[in-house]
Amino acid sequence: MEGKARTNDPALLILTSLSSGPKHGYALLQDIAGFAHVQLGPGTLYGAIGRLEERGLIEALEPRGRTRPYSLTESGGETLAAMLEELRAILDVGTSRLKRPTRLAHAGARA
Amino acid sequence: MSERQARRLLRAYPRAWRARYGAELVALLTELSADRPVCSRMRLDVVRAGLAERLHATGLGSGAPPAARARSGALLVLCAWMVFAVAGARVQKFSEHWQGATPQASRGVPSVAFDVLEVAAALGGALVLAGIALALPRTLAYIRSGGWPVVRHGVVRASALTAIAIGATAALAVWAHQLGTPQRNGASSAYSTAFVLCALLLAVALAAWTSVAVSLARGLELSGCVQRIEALLAGAICASMLAMTLATATWWAALARVAPWVLHGAPDGSHASSFALSLFLPSVLMAIATCLAAFGALASLRGSRLILK
Repeated sequence: MEGKARTNDPALLILTSLSSGPKHGYALLQDIAGFAHVQLGPGTLYGAIGRLEERGLIEALEPRGRTRPYSLTESGGETLAAMLEELRAILDVGTSRLKRPTRLAHAGARA
Repeated sequence: MSERQARRLLRAYPRAWRARYGAELVALLTELSADRPVCSRMRLDVVRAGLAERLHATGLGSGAPPAARARSGALLVLCAWMVFAVAGARVQKFSEHWQGATPQASRGVPSVAFDVLEVAAALGGALVLAGIALALPRTLAYIRSGGWPVVRHGVVRASALTAIAIGATAALAVWAHQLGTPQRNGASSAYSTAFVLCALLLAVALAAWTSVAVSLARGLELSGCVQRIEALLAGAICASMLAMTLATATWWAALARVAPWVLHGAPDGSHASSFALSLFLPSVLMAIATCLAAFGALASLRGSRLILK
């Protein structure tokens, strides 16, 4: 998070999942598997939850039984937006480079 | 996975972490195992994350704040130096009479290696003292401003252990003067046992002072510049430890080639084996301490660089 955003970064995946509303551990894993096709391990999930909570990007809500839901904080929302912007910039560069005719011409020449 | 099995996996985590997230992780693991059997990959993930949390709790993990990494890394180097010094003292004792027992013509490579070992030891010791001296003004300020109760118990314990160790060493020295060279070098089992006990006492006293230094250092507020210098010193200390470990290995290998009997404290030509357990164990300890110091020095250098940024 202090480094560059990666699409398989547990922190990015958790923040993205929480952007649709509070969730507990199991619901987070299910949601992330659904939208990113990434199966986070339980240890990895709680490691990332700990760091995010430490940095004030998410907060724990009142426990429900033995589980505890987490929600995105304002700062977490801003961080997620910045990370997505970073990814969008890479996406834009990649997309525009793929569309350039020179690359396609080189590929054709090699073939 | 039963709740009991899940709780067993939690032992990989530090106590404070378990108190905060333990129940949630156990609930998640039992919920996951209701869907499908918990595979070994998942168990490994929990154990790996637990060990990462332990590292994070010491301030050495990659997610730890830069100041904590710089400080914890430098302290790890100090602890590794303490372990190294104990192992090095054993090597020093082992190597007391090697020059006299090695033919003049065969002393070339072992002599160079041994000289490197001695120079690196002196340099490393001086660097450790420089690191302590650099932090001394802030340490005194911390003690004056209420830090004394934090370390009082440790200082009293370390002082008592040091007094006992010095007394035992003095008694051993008096005894040694009454013994001949063979008795001092293994022929007297009573003296050998007393020597080992005395060495253990000194090691425990050194560990007690190191523990005091760690407690003190955790309470200090050092500037970014001082932390950077401490990190550079930690790197240099680690380099001196590496040089000593390599010099010991070279000295051992060279002696094993030209005068293996020296490694057994035996007369000329009586032994051909190059393996000596009493040199092997401290050498392994020196190598482990060097690896720990390298890990600590890298963490400290990275952390201090981030502080200055």
